[in-house]
Amino acid sequence: MWSLTRPDAPSDEPVLVVDDRVTAASEDVLEAGVTLGMPRREAEALAPFALVLRRDPGEEARLFDPVATEVEALVPRVEVVSPGLMLVPVEGAVRFYGSEEAVAGKIGARLDELGITTPHQIGIADGPFAARWAAAEAEPGHPLIVTDTTRFLSGLDLGALRESMGGTEMIDTFRWLGVETLGDLARLPRETLASRFGVPGVTAHRLASGEDRAVDPREIPLELAVEMSFEDPLESLDAVEFAARNLADELLRRLRPLGVAPHTVTITVTAADGQTRERVWRSADPFTERALSDRVWWQLRAWVESRGIPGGIVMLRILPADLSGEGRQLGLFTDESSIVEAERALARAQAILGPDQVLQARAQGGRMPGERVVWSRWGEPETPMERDRVAPWPGATPKPSPALVPSRPHPIDIEWDEGMPSRVRLGSRWEPVLTWSGPWRLSGRWWAGEEDADRYQLVTSVGAFLCVVSGDRAYLAGVYD
Amino acid sequence: MPIEGLVTGRTIVPAELVVQPGTGLLDLQPGRVTELVGDPGSGLTRLGLRLLAPHSRLAPVVALDTRGWISPEAAWETGVEPDRLVVVRCDRSAMWAKVAAALLEGVRAMYAEVPAGVEDHDLRRLAALARARRVAVVMRPMSGGLPGGIAHLRLRAIGVTWEGADRGHGRLTRRRLVLEASGKGAAGTTMRFEVEDEGTDAVRLVSDVVVDQARRAVG
Repeated sequence: MWSLTRPDAPSDEPVLVVDDRVTAASEDVLEAGVTLGMPRREAEALAPFALVLRRDPGEEARLFDPVATEVEALVPRVEVVSPGLMLVPVEGAVRFYGSEEAVAGKIGARLDELGITTPHQIGIADGPFAARWAAAEAEPGHPLIVTDTTRFLSGLDLGALRESMGGTEMIDTFRWLGVETLGDLARLPRETLASRFGVPGVTAHRLASGEDRAVDPREIPLELAVEMSFEDPLESLDAVEFAARNLADELLRRLRPLGVAPHTVTITVTAADGQTRERVWRSADPFTERALSDRVWWQLRAWVESRGIPGGIVMLRILPADLSGEGRQLGLFTDESSIVEAERALARAQAILGPDQVLQARAQGGRMPGERVVWSRWGEPETPMERDRVAPWPGATPKPSPALVPSRPHPIDIEWDEGMPSRVRLGSRWEPVLTWSGPWRLSGRWWAGEEDADRYQLVTSVGAFLCVVSGDRAYLAGVYD
Repeated sequence: MPIEGLVTGRTIVPAELVVQPGTGLLDLQPGRVTELVGDPGSGLTRLGLRLLAPHSRLAPVVALDTRGWISPEAAWETGVEPDRLVVVRCDRSAMWAKVAAALLEGVRAMYAEVPAGVEDHDLRRLAALARARRVAVVMRPMSGGLPGGIAHLRLRAIGVTWEGADRGHGRLTRRRLVLEASGKGAAGTTMRFEVEDEGTDAVRLVSDVVVDQARRAVG
């Protein structure tokens, strides 16, 4: 386990790296009371002096790849859970090196040789869940080797279940019932949890008792592996991204009729010079379309950017493993099968048009309709908001909003009669203005050289328009279509 | 001489024909194409987005945008779930049919602006695909109309009026849109009705639904 930060973060300033929650923070920010996993807003309130940076998992995967490669040179078949966290099966390595301490020491020494300045934490325990928390509890540079896994887990706070349970709702209920640690939870009768919380309750109890998820014993038919070959080696990141997302989509499409989804995938690429690279990724929950395509893309990006694939990619393969029937449990009130199908269709549209053309939007603050929307590429992390949504924004253009908003200011001709709009030019014809509202003043940021402007809603016989007039120029800002 | 009656060639039909949830003219039917015809400004983009709203409660819905102008804010105001609206921008008519076909393979409802230059046979293929996949589709041709046999229902904007603005005072608050429905979805007749919305709620019918009687028949 290795704590990653944004590589472009300034080293001499307090820094907070976030997605919805805090994923990393500098020392001075942690001293202000911020903790990892804390909601972003809470952390920003505690450390208003910190520079807030958005987490970039692709870049983290690129930085983490050499670490995984080095560890894999010592112990084969490492499984990357997320950038910064990997699981290493040590049974064979213990036989080879003599003891668990020796294996942990070898791994630590190899990471030190790499010259990694970020402290790394190593934990050894029975099963992925216990090992992950053993690493979290370990002192940097001092591996924690757990001999009694059940006892170790029993002392952990209930929050350790958050990652595996995908949220805090059930954990909050447990706390309300007086259950504070995994040990408290493990002491409850499993059948009581099953009747009160269903499958998630049993899963939580199993993890708390040190019984990690059993690997599905089903054999993996080889034909479930998906593969793409390329006559012209893929070198550009765009081409690699399309291939990664398409192949991930194809894999889950094949698994779908079988009612399973993988917990583990092996990504293999062959370079133009014949070199082959391979990496295993693991997830506590069965991979969804989006989660799998992200991981395949991160891994390929890491290899391509570190020049690990000389001459480009000629073959890409994904082999699923550890298949689980939990992956395709359909919900009762939302049509999850439709959601899955829609995600596949959108991934195909993205492959045809490119990632910048398939978009989702979120509301943010602003006075003009174009400002009040922040766009993100579909399937990728959301673009951070530029304007606070909950701020009052006096003078904002009122509802109803125009249904069409040009992406750039669109010049328009307006004819004025004693300061009142009389005609507007639409294409080649002039339309009389039947009535209008405004002007509403829009004050520009004078310190940034912006001019003041006036807004008008113009109504003609063919529709209504939102226009901005600045000096002697007028622009179309929206069509009430 | 007193007039006892006047033959106008028109009849009034129940309003439920237009606004009945699930079956009305203003509800998208799975596997059917609804065509919206009218100039920019006639109010059809908001209407088209509003038609997606009930479908967005179940699964993602798509707006296929040829100009890059569609505002999600207007869609959210009409009831489309913010997390479920995906805007796909495609300004190349050569690619449009391919993209639309890819989307019809998976989404349940789509509002698609149709750029000029899309071949008739491509549009027919898309309508067949929508039928086969039971996708509810709204098509808004950017110029002219769709070729015959594609749309199950054709809604043409006859006129739009806005209320609220008064020579510099007030603001736009409410609009009334006069629509003419025709095609199989309108039982083979031509109906005219007026709807109203305030931007933040569902469309309301504010006029009688008037049906033109057939002038000619073949039997």
